[in-house]
Amino acid sequence: MTRTRGKRGEETRAYWTMVLPAFVVYLLVMAFPIVLSLVLSLSDYNGGRMFGGKPWGVVGFDHYAKVFSDSAFWHALKNNSYIVLVSVFGQLPLGFVFAYVIYRRLVKWPDFWQGILYVPNIISIIVIGILWQTIFSPVGPLAEVMNAAIRGGFQDRLNSIIASADPSALSDEALRRILDLAGPSGAAMFTEPLIELRDLLSSYGPGNSPEVLEGLTNLFAPKWTPDFLTKDDVAMLPILFVILWMYTGMYLIMFLANMQKIDTQIVEAARIDGARETQVMRYIILPSLSGTFVNSAILAIAGSLSSFALIFAMTGGGPGHVTEILSIYMFDKAFQGSPDFPLANAIALIMVGISFVLIALTKAMEKRYGGKEE
Amino acid sequence: MIATPVNRRFSAERIASALAKGLAYAVMSLFALMTLYPIFWLFMNSFKPTREFQMSQLGFPKSPTLDNFVGAWNLGEFSKLIPNSLIYTAGATIGIVLLSVLAGFAFAKIKSRATAPIYGSFVIGILLTVQSLMIPLFLEVNLLGIYNTRIAVLLVYIGSGLPIGIYLSTEFIKAIPGSLIESARIDGASYLRIFRSIILPMTVPVATTLAILNITNVWNEFALINILVAKTELKSLPLGMFRFSGSLSSDYGKQFAALTIGMLPMLVFYVAFRKQITKGVAAGAVKG
Repeated sequence: MTRTRGKRGEETRAYWTMVLPAFVVYLLVMAFPIVLSLVLSLSDYNGGRMFGGKPWGVVGFDHYAKVFSDSAFWHALKNNSYIVLVSVFGQLPLGFVFAYVIYRRLVKWPDFWQGILYVPNIISIIVIGILWQTIFSPVGPLAEVMNAAIRGGFQDRLNSIIASADPSALSDEALRRILDLAGPSGAAMFTEPLIELRDLLSSYGPGNSPEVLEGLTNLFAPKWTPDFLTKDDVAMLPILFVILWMYTGMYLIMFLANMQKIDTQIVEAARIDGARETQVMRYIILPSLSGTFVNSAILAIAGSLSSFALIFAMTGGGPGHVTEILSIYMFDKAFQGSPDFPLANAIALIMVGISFVLIALTKAMEKRYGGKEE
Repeated sequence: MIATPVNRRFSAERIASALAKGLAYAVMSLFALMTLYPIFWLFMNSFKPTREFQMSQLGFPKSPTLDNFVGAWNLGEFSKLIPNSLIYTAGATIGIVLLSVLAGFAFAKIKSRATAPIYGSFVIGILLTVQSLMIPLFLEVNLLGIYNTRIAVLLVYIGSGLPIGIYLSTEFIKAIPGSLIESARIDGASYLRIFRSIILPMTVPVATTLAILNITNVWNEFALINILVAKTELKSLPLGMFRFSGSLSSDYGKQFAALTIGMLPMLVFYVAFRKQITKGVAAGAVKG
């Protein structure tokens, strides 16, 4: 009798010895902050020592009202939804198609494609953010390639005007055509365009056309300055493009892993019976991955809530608040300008609320799709 | 004559499949280019003096130099960042794996009424993003007096890695036959003894998956550590590299060298463990 009780006791002790360390850490990192943000979002605590400092009290739902009436909040929420839409209508279908062609070995070097498409996921997001910010910036390679092309085109047209004539003794007609090519911004450099341009050209001395061409191109060729990340109405696009490229590889791996669980004999038998590749995809692979699609869509929403670093490094949420997402909006409220911790905590709790809706959704989906795949 | 419509359908089908294949190739190539070219470009420019970069960003460096690397290394204090990143990654990974396998064993093999609610709370945590809790976490570590400490960073990293870790290890240990444990119990072995000599060796596959998953996550993590530490002595690589996007961003040579230094370890890790990383991601994401 005592022995069995001792055994039960040891069992209980062992259970808690093994569970408690993990559970305590988990409570500290996940549960406690949720409770804290709930309390603080209803209070007027705004930094400093929480106990023994400036007294603070509960003020009710004011901060939530403030968040919901802030247009920047809705804008951030909209940007989060854009990220979800890019995932659901971009990354998921692309990931699925890539996984399928790799799974069925319809492309050469399937291993190479799989390997390379996942690379963006293992590089630090900070590196990716800074790198793409530079690429889209006026000093980036994009600008250099475009400007080289523009200069090349400009020089060609200039060349066709000057042709074999001596640049220091061009006709009025040729000078006018050069000025036409330079456009209004070029003409604006002169007060007496024709005369001044002739002076300029003769200063090169006779017969020196390569240098003249170079000089005129430097002077007149239009310069293209990329403003993707600094213009309000387009700044979100490069970010979404980078996000599309970054995470497609992750969904590819998820779909591929689930495809590989499908009995290959079913696919082979269908092919032998004359089913076409698209039919195999439509009637065998797609239905058995419906659960994966639902999971991926839920993951996409969770992913948009957790993203922070990429936008933080690419634009910092700017220009203005144009590229802010919820996490950056919250960060700004807490750490930029005059800190507003109650407001930031209210935003945190709203994000947690969205997560809980997602979790409920997963549970419901699991009931519906459960058993089809693990 | 009868065969014609079939043939036509067949050929339309073939055109469609050729188109699909072409599209797959095109987009995959675009994505691959978007990956390879920036890395190549970054690498090339990190060997150019900033003056040469301003003249020409494309192409190979004309007078390659290691000055950028030396400068970035000193300016970015990489000699502090790299050990810190190693400490955080190793500490968090060991912590997550150990705590997950321990709790997973209890959840899977010891009957208790506490399992349903506690294990359930961990599973819920898989979809809870810690990033949304960064402000309350910041206030909490201040309240606990552990702001600007390694303990806080490790605590947060371990806590946020536990849900998926516990889920994967519990499911894995459930599949270990119960008879193994029962016979050891009859022989008088304690649970902790069973854990050490039976469970731990058998969970190597899931522990490896978890470790790999967490190494990439923790090494690259930015949002959380950004609010947990402010001292350079405690910063990790991503935090250090972020400095090069702000006040130091116009010194392109050093910026590129810093990004190259920061990127290389993970690229090497990926090339070495690609199969395991892929497997880990698939395992971690299937349910997540």
